Amino acid sequence: MTEPIGARRGSRAPYLFVAPAVVLFVAFLAVPIGYAVYLSVRGLRLTGAGIFGTRQEVFVGLDNYARTLTDPEFWAGFGRLALYGLIGVPLTLGLALLFALLLDYAGARGRRFSRTAIFLPYAIPGVTASLLWGFMYLPSTSPFSYLTRELGLGEIPFLTGDGIYPALANVAVWGGVGFNMIIIFTSLRGIPSELSDAARIDGASEWRIAWHVKIPLVAPALVLTGLFALIGTLQVYGEPTTLAPMTTEISQTWVPLMHIYRDAFIRDDLPLASAASVILAVGTLIVSVVLLKVTQKRAFGGMS
Amino acid sequence: MRIRGVSGSAAALCLAVLLAACSSGTSGSGGTTATQAAQTGPVTLDFWCWSAGQKEKVAAFNKAHPDIQVRHTDAGGGTDTATKLVTAGRAGNAPDAACLEYQTIPAMIVAGALADISAHTADVKDAFTPEVWSLTSFDGAVYGVPQDVGPMVMVYNRKRFDELKIEVPKTWQDFATVAAAVRAKDPDTYLATFAPAEFGNFAGLAQQAGATWWKVQDQTWTVGIADAASTEVAAYWQGLVDKDLVKVQPLLTPEWNNQLNKGRILSWPSALWATGVLYGVAEKQAGDWAIAPLPQWTEGDDRVAFQGGSAIAVTKNSKHLQAAATFAKWMNTDKAAYELQIAAGEYPASLAGQQATTASEPPKLAGGQKDYWEVAAKAAQRTIPHISWGPNVSTAQSAFQDAMAAAVRDKTPLTQALQKTQQVVVDDMTSTGFKVAAP
Repeated sequence: MTEPIGARRGSRAPYLFVAPAVVLFVAFLAVPIGYAVYLSVRGLRLTGAGIFGTRQEVFVGLDNYARTLTDPEFWAGFGRLALYGLIGVPLTLGLALLFALLLDYAGARGRRFSRTAIFLPYAIPGVTASLLWGFMYLPSTSPFSYLTRELGLGEIPFLTGDGIYPALANVAVWGGVGFNMIIIFTSLRGIPSELSDAARIDGASEWRIAWHVKIPLVAPALVLTGLFALIGTLQVYGEPTTLAPMTTEISQTWVPLMHIYRDAFIRDDLPLASAASVILAVGTLIVSVVLLKVTQKRAFGGMS
Repeated sequence: MRIRGVSGSAAALCLAVLLAACSSGTSGSGGTTATQAAQTGPVTLDFWCWSAGQKEKVAAFNKAHPDIQVRHTDAGGGTDTATKLVTAGRAGNAPDAACLEYQTIPAMIVAGALADISAHTADVKDAFTPEVWSLTSFDGAVYGVPQDVGPMVMVYNRKRFDELKIEVPKTWQDFATVAAAVRAKDPDTYLATFAPAEFGNFAGLAQQAGATWWKVQDQTWTVGIADAASTEVAAYWQGLVDKDLVKVQPLLTPEWNNQLNKGRILSWPSALWATGVLYGVAEKQAGDWAIAPLPQWTEGDDRVAFQGGSAIAVTKNSKHLQAAATFAKWMNTDKAAYELQIAAGEYPASLAGQQATTASEPPKLAGGQKDYWEVAAKAAQRTIPHISWGPNVSTAQSAFQDAMAAAVRDKTPLTQALQKTQQVVVDDMTSTGFKVAAP
């Protein structure tokens, strides 16, 4: 008697429990992704009806992929991202690590205040931060350019020429340091204090303790923040879009996501935008997996 | 995005509209609605529009038409509304009627989003000049009732002009001379701005010089974005840019607004709605500014193009075509409607509405100019006939903006940027399947 009941319960209950997650996953992730992939092989083409003709959706095979992959402007966007990321990511992670170590240092004062102050910019929405910095970059409203002008040095070209890369990276660094610092700091607090104490008794300086004890132990946190930073870089959209009206330096296809937005909503070519989105998503996935593989041994090797 | 919205579709946001009340129109619409009510009872229409004063106008319409009730939604500026309308149309849930900027109408027709309402508009056709009416009608089909127009004028800081003892230029040759004089008299100051993103403005100046950017005959298109007249206009601005006679900068940024407020930017050759836009960023200069006819390429000419403006169109999704057409007509020709429109600071498309403006005060920015509305009406009545837009204006706009910005940045010729834009537009049309004739 008990066995059939147990078997029946066993066969149903797991599905029941997993159902909400599966339903949500299918409805809000699998179906939209599937639809994007479906759209990416469609295209809007003219048919004869109407005074000018009418655009209808038809199957076009891999045409959209071919167009995206052969569009030099799409790849140029990745080039600009690389430049932006090279400036922004090491600075964000470096500063986050530095601040985390300083906060973790036993002799640090005003720890709670500093932590809040460094974390605060992360709470400012990206668009607000971009506008705020935009005002500080524009020659006639910039306090920095005002100072250099008064000193007879001229204006700082924040928004012209190559100045745009550090200017944009700065917005990301300013906003991102606090978040990454908290992750690394939390990880630092998890290190048993005996390790530091032992090193200290052996006569190691705080600097050596940080370098040889703490940093190796927070490597997993560094890999995690590095991965977030990398994905964040590939998904840059808000900052350049917000600053674009203030400068002629940022085109409508400046980064890949802006390119996708333009195709979808300015050129009314959702299929082309879907193809580019699929390429970007697959690319991000590959880069993430490669990064994890490469760092896995160093970061997690000693622990697993 | 928000800021781009402001500068990019300043025309759309700020303009306005409406007009002409003719008694025959009013009685005509009263008749049709009565019939419809008898047959089907009150109908409810959805309506999208972004411009100022719509709420009041819709309320007035609902009050006057117990059997047609309209629900108004602000779905975003001109570009956003056009995009959303196409998407909603494909999904089968577009509103019954919507405001559309004139240059987006051909794209909407090609997307199959709009209904031909020519069966219902015979009674209001004469409420507009033929130039205005042709903005919404193609080959006898009518895709909307014109709402507001932006005839081009020269908006200038009269106080600073007087201070510097300079005259308002009558031709573009004069304009260059005055620009040089301004630079000589006050090195911090520029007569005007060259903003690479101002597609609609450049299109208007090129049309004034005789350019036709799109033309269609027997479903074969000709694209003239880099035609002789446009090239000449680009070369003209190139000269001003090269000699540092105009400020090269995006419009309506904090930077530009700051210069404007310091009196270092003296004019904005644009359209009637510009006084409202400038007042929004330079309130302190109320009364200092004035409008004058736009400079001409040939002395003695008086034709100008439009920059901005919108119409109310009826969508194919609508199940109440006649009621929606009645609404579009009332909103743009009834006296009550255009009076509300003018009060909201907008320039009507209908003749009666334009006539009615002459009785009102000039906008605050140009508060000191007694003949403001006469100058405006003259510009409105002498607009260029047969302005036509293409099926991919937004593609052209984004290509133009990027190419012009790159040209200014890399110091390459503006004429090349036009050719690049032309190429993008032709390629886009060809890949969609349009027949495009060689220029």
